[in-house]
Amino acid sequence: MKRFTICTPLFLILAITGFHCKPSYQAQQLQYKNYRIATALPKDSSQVVFLQPYRDNVNKTMNEVVGMAEVSLEKKQPEGTLGNFMVDAFLTMAREKYNTPVDVAFVNFGGIRLTQLPAGEVTVGKVFELMPFDNVLLIQKIKGSVFQQLLDLVAERGGWPMAGLTMQIKNKKAVNVMIGGKPLDPAATYTIANSDFIANGGDNADMLRGIPQISSGYLMRDAIIDYIRKLKSQGKNISAKLENRVTNAE
Amino acid sequence: MLNRKSFIRQAALSAGAIMAGPALAEAADYLNPVKLTILHTNDTHSRLDPFPMDGGRNQGLGGIAARSGLIKQVRAEEEHVLLLDAGDIFQGTPYFNIYKGEPEIKAMTNLGYDACTIGNHDFDAGMENLATQLTQHASFPMLVANYDFTGTPMEGKTEPYKIFKKGRLKIGVFGVGIEGRGLIPDSLFGATKYLDPVQKANETAATLRRDKKCDMVICLSHLGYQYKESNKVSDEVLAKETENIDLIIGGHTHTFLDNPVEFKSKKGEQVIVNQVGFAGIILGRLDFEFSKFSGKKLSKNHNLTVSPKTGG
Repeated sequence: MKRFTICTPLFLILAITGFHCKPSYQAQQLQYKNYRIATALPKDSSQVVFLQPYRDNVNKTMNEVVGMAEVSLEKKQPEGTLGNFMVDAFLTMAREKYNTPVDVAFVNFGGIRLTQLPAGEVTVGKVFELMPFDNVLLIQKIKGSVFQQLLDLVAERGGWPMAGLTMQIKNKKAVNVMIGGKPLDPAATYTIANSDFIANGGDNADMLRGIPQISSGYLMRDAIIDYIRKLKSQGKNISAKLENRVTNAE
Repeated sequence: MLNRKSFIRQAALSAGAIMAGPALAEAADYLNPVKLTILHTNDTHSRLDPFPMDGGRNQGLGGIAARSGLIKQVRAEEEHVLLLDAGDIFQGTPYFNIYKGEPEIKAMTNLGYDACTIGNHDFDAGMENLATQLTQHASFPMLVANYDFTGTPMEGKTEPYKIFKKGRLKIGVFGVGIEGRGLIPDSLFGATKYLDPVQKANETAATLRRDKKCDMVICLSHLGYQYKESNKVSDEVLAKETENIDLIIGGHTHTFLDNPVEFKSKKGEQVIVNQVGFAGIILGRLDFEFSKFSGKKLSKNHNLTVSPKTGG
């Protein structure tokens, strides 16, 4: 018993020094913590200084006036002037950027992030507020029957802005759908300008999943800015009207 | 007053000390665990400034200045720190629209990031741009083991893994990226070849564990935490279908995990997965405590105890 006690420390030392193979380490304990980066935390002033010139320039760019809104444009369902203006921009710029005929452009109602674009000067920053997400404007070719399913979803959700198409909402379904002045043909193929968000099944647009997307990575926000600049170069201001594009049937 | 037993023990220890010399220091090593602190972010998305004070849910949160302050504080307190990011550094604020990632990469260099992996949005301003930003402004490697960039502007700009020596610890870190098709426009993903992340992770982890003798293998993943679709590879799938990985620092799904999640690997090893939301709202901290074992004593079924950090 005593011999064992005496030997223990010796054995320990010999055991440790006796290693010829490389000892390994194994994690025995893990303690975790999530730090919330909140305003109360002390700021590293060197990083504030580092960022300042970038921040100043970003603000300068964001404050650039790109155009002028003739009237206040409003976000409304089933149809609103702000949405109409945006989808007009998407239809025009999709045709131009992809150099292809496009039948219809639309945007999901939830993708409009301002309730109002006030009359007056419109800055780049204001367009960022309108479309903060970096959603991409892309092209899809879809069958009329699939389009009808999508429009029924639009009807169920209270109506989204549409360009190149008129429809009515009846019992949460899209009825009297007219595209380019003709009734929607379930067997025909239509070219739509869509967002990557919806094209990938966002807002439950599952019927669009798997349909090929033609995309150059062109941001919807850039489409709006480019369209406003285009209008300005033509001596035009930002405007839109309610045109009974999407209405409630009863 | 020493009794006989303690006297003999002391004498034996002294004799041992004389005989073994510096071995006593090693004996102390044996008894003293080694600590490694891992700080991590994911999906910071160009959020260099805190969220604006506009009444939004995240107002005032995030920002590199406060993150940097916190990192400096941890570094002052801990000897061995690794600062890691799991991708999607780019896109999300006008900083990126204007500067294409320059201030983001510079900030990561300033904050002393040790490594990151690549996210799908890091392709957003093109591969040539990403290559330029990394070459000009990054002092840390971008790690990805399952993208083959041969023939693209990103060729030679990433590494599959990097080994960090932290005191007596050898830590192997590698990265895996998400499938580009359907997520990254073809025009941006270009000729990049996406390779099976499970297979590449297994290969790389085996290299780090067996050939490079790493004490710990960390995977930086931009695959996403988990998906409803059972056939879609995620961190959960990666953890369960690989071996030799100790820790997966994840991203992509912007998942705010309240605590690291444990999975069992193909061989029954414990795999820890963590992810901290997005936009630099949270800085994750994982303190690992290591003990020394002989090669023979390394237990395959050893149990890592996971608990919230006490104090600090």
